[in-house]
Amino acid sequence: MFMAIRELRHAKTRYILISLIMVLIAWLVLFVTGLAQGLSSDNASSIQTMNADYLVLQHNSDQRLTRSTLEHHTLEEVKQQTANAEATPLGVQMSTVTSDYNDKRIDVTYFAINPQSMLAPQVVEGHMINDSSSLEAVVDRSLKEKGLKLGDVIHDQASGQAFTIIGFTKGQSFSHTPVVHINFADWKSIHQNRSIKEDELAFNAIAVKGTKEIADGIKTQVSGVEVISKSQSLQGIPGYKEEQGSLLMMVAFLFIIAAFVLAVFFYVMTIQKMSQFGVLKAIGAKMSYLARGLISQVLMLSIISLAIGIGLTYGVSLLLPESMPFELNAGVITICTILFLFVSLLGSLLSLYRVAKVDAIEAIGRAA
Amino acid sequence: MSTQLRLDNVSKIYGAEDTSVKVLKDISLEVKAGEFVAIVGPSGSGKSTFLSIAGALLSPTNGTVTIGGQEISRLSSQQLTDIRLQKIGFIFQSANLIPYLTVRDQLILIGELAGMKKSHSKKKATELLSRLGLGHRLHHYPESLSGGERQRVAIARAWMNDPEIILADEPTASLDSERGRDVVHMLADEVKSRGKAAVMVTHDHRMLDLCDRVVHMEDGKLSVS
Repeated sequence: MFMAIRELRHAKTRYILISLIMVLIAWLVLFVTGLAQGLSSDNASSIQTMNADYLVLQHNSDQRLTRSTLEHHTLEEVKQQTANAEATPLGVQMSTVTSDYNDKRIDVTYFAINPQSMLAPQVVEGHMINDSSSLEAVVDRSLKEKGLKLGDVIHDQASGQAFTIIGFTKGQSFSHTPVVHINFADWKSIHQNRSIKEDELAFNAIAVKGTKEIADGIKTQVSGVEVISKSQSLQGIPGYKEEQGSLLMMVAFLFIIAAFVLAVFFYVMTIQKMSQFGVLKAIGAKMSYLARGLISQVLMLSIISLAIGIGLTYGVSLLLPESMPFELNAGVITICTILFLFVSLLGSLLSLYRVAKVDAIEAIGRAA
Repeated sequence: MSTQLRLDNVSKIYGAEDTSVKVLKDISLEVKAGEFVAIVGPSGSGKSTFLSIAGALLSPTNGTVTIGGQEISRLSSQQLTDIRLQKIGFIFQSANLIPYLTVRDQLILIGELAGMKKSHSKKKATELLSRLGLGHRLHHYPESLSGGERQRVAIARAWMNDPEIILADEPTASLDSERGRDVVHMLADEVKSRGKAAVMVTHDHRMLDLCDRVVHMEDGKLSVS
């Protein structure tokens, strides 16, 4: 530490420049991570917050809710397997609605649920729909930003049905569209023009709350279905995988770049100081002492850069417009920080190796 | 007078059997406390190898090396590092100071390595530097010192760990003769007043009158003149 700190102080410009690069990389890493998180919840918060563990879909539906169709008898079979655990149907339909005010079209996703089931969303304003309500809906509060309020009517474009908004929910989106929760009576009414038999209730999935054993039981005992976990179903939301995948790739590359930038910087610095290390070893400095010095320098630079990077990220996130999805919690920051410190230490390994290879004898008989 | 450094029948062979080169051939040398010995000889005669073996940087192929009463020829490289830290003071050709440490910190670093108390090593460093006429330079960096001053810092650094013996590798190589003489004079004075020993490898025949004994090295062999 004695030498490490004095060297940092003496060669300020050099180390400030490298910290600056590190700050920018850390900033970018955190920012992109926050954006990925924000987009993820903007995209699929309805699934993420859903009070269920598994979803039962039609066989061969590719884990996609929207591709699956199940009928009433499947629900009965699943219920036999789940015994005490809850199983409840879920209808998912992407659609477009217009409001009374203007002709502006809004993309929404209908979630048909049993209002008493575990799938009922938390209502933050107004009240919840029930089994007997007719042509009423609770909608995600992001629709408020579009000018809608309680008592307003939205018109379904495909079926022509009109729904009165009786409540607002929060954090209910599916594939970047707000979710409109309705009951199954209304679900039938928006499918009127399709040929559904009176008592054949068709829906997309069955949500199950229960252990893995129950899920396995359904898998083996009920034919024509596949059982996926909640996180698997996220991957099946249109666009979700692609969105998260490209952002994740950016973050991964940033970490690799950070490791290389540090590695190259310290490697060049180490090469420049080879003769010094020879002298230090000759006068009795142990390798462990030299290694501690190098590692403490790397850690000091990384920690300072990270602190500034985190500060910048939060600062900028305050300036972002509301509509921009950005979400960063302490857990994610901690993981990023640990990863960042880890890759910087990885980057210093090459330099450590070179220092270890320096022979003290080089100090003798040489006019440096 | 006690013996500070003793080499008995030391030889050093580099390389494998058929291509081996015998750099040192059965060298014996004894340096007593208070003695300042110069080693002169043409380049390639084995002076650097001699200094490396005496300085615990290299182990001899045959023979024994004793520093301050301790046999070091069979120690591990870890133990040799400790010997260098505790018992040997080095002065290199071109001072070889650490560029980002001030003059006093150069000396405090040795205290750091040896696990000395900070306050103690500060006091000792200041004392040593004042003695060598560098009291006004404590907080300067090596880049702002003259060549002679740098070499004096190197001498002070070599004394910092109270070594049994000082090994100097052409300490005057980068100095003009007047400065060089000053530096060697200081070294000789310190050796006398502390009752320690010093061995200096040099090309510079003008310094030899300051030494107690001159040993010639040629083709890996020592001869006293």
